Amino acid sequence: MVATSTHTALSSAKLIDPQTLMTIRSLELRARAVVEGFWSGMHRSPYHGFSVEFTEYRQYTPGDDPRYLDWRVFARSDRYFIKKYEDETNLRVHLLVDQSRSMDYGSKGYTKLAYAATLASTLAYFLHLQGDAIGLLTFDEKVREYLPARHRAGHLRQLMLSLERPASGKATDLVAPIERITTLIRKRGMVALISDFLAPLDRLEKNLIALTAGGHEVVVFHLVDPAELNLGLTSAALFEDVESARTLYIDPAVARAGYTKKFEAHCDALQAISRKLGISYHRLSTADPLEFALFGFLQERMRRGRLFRRAGSSGGGGRA
Amino acid sequence: MSFLTPLFLLGGLAIVGPILYHLVRRTTREKQRFSSLMFLLPSPPRLSNRKRLEHWLLLLLRCAALALLALGFARPFLRQAPVDDPTAAQPKRIVVLVDISASMRRDGVWAAARERAEAVLRRAGPADQVALYPFDRQASALVSFEDWNRTAPAERVAFAVGRLATLTPSWAGTQLGSALVTAAEALGENEDGKAAPGPRQIVLVSDLQSGSRLDALQAYEWPKGVDLVLEPVKARTPGNAGVQLVAEGPDSTRAVDAPVRVRVSNSADATREKFKLGWTALRNGNTDTTGELIGAPIDAYVPPGQSRVFSLPVPKGVAAPEVITLQGDPEAFDNTVHVIPHAQQRATVLWIGSDVAEDVRQPLFFLRRAFVETPRVAVRVLASAPAATLSPADLSGSTLIFLTDAVPADKAAALRAEVEAGRTLVFLPKSAAAAATLGALTGREGLALVETKPANYAMLGEIDFQHPLFAPFADPRFSDFTKIHFWQYRKLDAAALSGARVVAKFDSGDPALLEMPLGKGKLYVLNSGWHPDDSQLAVSSKFVPLLWSLLEQSGGVASFVTQYAIGERLTLPAGVNATGLLAPDGTTTPLAGGATDVPVPARPGIYTLTGGAKPQRFAVNLEPTESRTAPLSTDDLEQLGVPVARPKAEVVATVENKTMLQGIESENRQKLWRWFIAATLAVLLVETALAGWTARRATLRTEEVPS
Repeated sequence: MVATSTHTALSSAKLIDPQTLMTIRSLELRARAVVEGFWSGMHRSPYHGFSVEFTEYRQYTPGDDPRYLDWRVFARSDRYFIKKYEDETNLRVHLLVDQSRSMDYGSKGYTKLAYAATLASTLAYFLHLQGDAIGLLTFDEKVREYLPARHRAGHLRQLMLSLERPASGKATDLVAPIERITTLIRKRGMVALISDFLAPLDRLEKNLIALTAGGHEVVVFHLVDPAELNLGLTSAALFEDVESARTLYIDPAVARAGYTKKFEAHCDALQAISRKLGISYHRLSTADPLEFALFGFLQERMRRGRLFRRAGSSGGGGRA
Repeated sequence: MSFLTPLFLLGGLAIVGPILYHLVRRTTREKQRFSSLMFLLPSPPRLSNRKRLEHWLLLLLRCAALALLALGFARPFLRQAPVDDPTAAQPKRIVVLVDISASMRRDGVWAAARERAEAVLRRAGPADQVALYPFDRQASALVSFEDWNRTAPAERVAFAVGRLATLTPSWAGTQLGSALVTAAEALGENEDGKAAPGPRQIVLVSDLQSGSRLDALQAYEWPKGVDLVLEPVKARTPGNAGVQLVAEGPDSTRAVDAPVRVRVSNSADATREKFKLGWTALRNGNTDTTGELIGAPIDAYVPPGQSRVFSLPVPKGVAAPEVITLQGDPEAFDNTVHVIPHAQQRATVLWIGSDVAEDVRQPLFFLRRAFVETPRVAVRVLASAPAATLSPADLSGSTLIFLTDAVPADKAAALRAEVEAGRTLVFLPKSAAAAATLGALTGREGLALVETKPANYAMLGEIDFQHPLFAPFADPRFSDFTKIHFWQYRKLDAAALSGARVVAKFDSGDPALLEMPLGKGKLYVLNSGWHPDDSQLAVSSKFVPLLWSLLEQSGGVASFVTQYAIGERLTLPAGVNATGLLAPDGTTTPLAGGATDVPVPARPGIYTLTGGAKPQRFAVNLEPTESRTAPLSTDDLEQLGVPVARPKAEVVATVENKTMLQGIESENRQKLWRWFIAATLAVLLVETALAGWTARRATLRTEEVPS
């Protein structure tokens, strides 16, 4: 779940209730509403902005491009050093959005899919504004649609159109889209996986390993409907699986304890996998405002970036 | 209300079903979509803890239908006093037919039969009328309805049982058909000759052997309302083999010492098939055999259900063995056959005439050929000239004398004396000249014979078939004498011969054959010869029987049959004047003097007719059909129109059984289950209608409020 610090950080910000947000028809407008509001809160953030940042010096070895020699260091110490920078421009982000039928469920008046689409479009809009290239891959039991990562006028609109498609699949298969994205994306980038993860997790880990091994930064957004947390209902009913249309007679009073236990175990398993693979994991309730998600995402990214820099900075340096 | 099958009431517990259904159904009606059932397990249906049931009227109807169905299956009835039973009150008329034929002598059969009959008698209600008819060849009342009614009601059964105890099986055959007819007729009429009201029943206690004769039923129309109840009894061991003499025709040429042919039959349910056949010695002239075989027995192999004929040689050196025994069959009653071979009889016929023996135009020639020798009778024809004196040797053996020519007066007187002593003389005048001899024979004066030659020919116009001579021709098939033409005859005035009886007349009205008794003997006057000059009689088919008839009438031969089956009639020939009948056990039954028709004794064995010229022996055996002991199919009876009712199971007189039987009867009569089933159907109809209405209303309501 999103850290409490997020709440404190965003407490003064004017958050948009997702219920209100979902009343906006256009996905683009929704994204814009979130991001604009987010900016207003972000100005006071100490972790503002991305830039071409110096990371380290490295001793020159023959064959290095002499353009990157730090002549000032040479002047001071009579040694050749090469300046290294973080590659932060042209970040290629791929959004993997689950469009299976299980996403078509929602107890709040809007579905998880609508929430996921809003989340994806918010991220896309935000990153687009930063000048990053955004790609999209929607899937259910197989890959539905793939838009390669681009930064181009009109690409964002096309992406939003794809996100607006209704859910059609019968089942959720997390393995096939990850395999596909592994083969599709050669260049390192970021992969954001937005799903309810209502599928067996056994093969997911292997594919996530393959993805992280490819050098991609993976972010997992685990969407949970509030009703899924505690089974929601109070009276017994025939429960119908929205994916398979299978029905089961369930009495919530009897089944709740077992269900909660199993569901938590499932979430924990997913979280454990994420932690093991160094994947940033965000569990989002569809009742939470989207700003939390965006803020959490950015915060996590900053933190990771800092950690990375701290671990990797061995020498002093300054900006080129 | 009581129930015949109360266990079916447990089916009423099924009403729990609809109640549960009504409780449960409410909770499972809602359907809830959910994202995934991955983490869910089905929960067992839980009863709603609400007290209120939906559609209580429907529930009530469903429960009622199930309860009514269960009640219907439990066969309810209202207990009533058995006195109300209308059939019980109606008295029955029952004839108990008890088989006492020879086959009932098998091991254990008679005891079982008596037991059954007693049980039937004891079952009779106080108002019932019972008659007891034992039967073998014929049925007669041992206890008639009159006897039954005459006895005090309390003593009736004891009386009938006492009578029954006196019965023992006879040796006779089984005429089941006539016994049934007798019983049905006895049932048909009341004492005053009116038809009896109430149910009528014949209870047949019998071994129902296939040898029972049913022919009497074929021409009998079985009266309506008379049921036949079978009480079959069985022998301890199934199967029976029997031995019978193969019947020999009168023309059989078997010599006295020739092998005797016997038939051995084995019943279909027999277990044995190997037997021994042999001659057995009689012990003290009794039917009981010592079991010692005379000579070597022959092996008889007869598979079950078959019969085979064996030729049993007469052992040499034993004087006339008379008993054949079958060994190896435990049922002894039909294992013995008594055999009396026919003895050839000798007779002498005296011919007094001028004929030359081998002249084909003379009557003697034809006479010799008519009396040809047979195994039964050898006839010697003695011819003597009219002038020759009568030799006592010739006369002594001959009982029949033919005279064709005129003889001297002294000879005629001698002949007349012989006739008066008991012989028969046939006067056959060759010419009118013999009239004087006829006068001398008859003692009548002025007799005249007129030679008559009809214009065409004469025929026998009027024949007295009542006369013993012509009795064999009495049948219309044989009574046509018109083919015999007479070319000439000697006309005799019958009026002149007073005391003579005209047996046959020519078509002209003149007597052809006259009979005149003379003392103990008889004189026949035949007014025409049989030789070709006189007539065609000799070449007609009537000639030989007529001559033999004459010989028999004269007492020359007695056609006595030596083999009889029990139940037949014994016809004594004219010559046998028996006064007593000697049974094998040495007792003698006196016979009425001159009796010719005597019933055959009721016990197998060798009997002797005493008091005649010589003792005449004859053998009495069982009826061959009595050996066929395989069970008779009841279908055979039913085919003959007899309605056979199966015997009811033994009524055990325990209180529970009685109560149960009464219950079954009441239930059968009341048939309340029908009403319960009908009520079930009605309730189900109402339920269907109500359920349909409820469902329609629910649909309407759903449509009004779209979700």
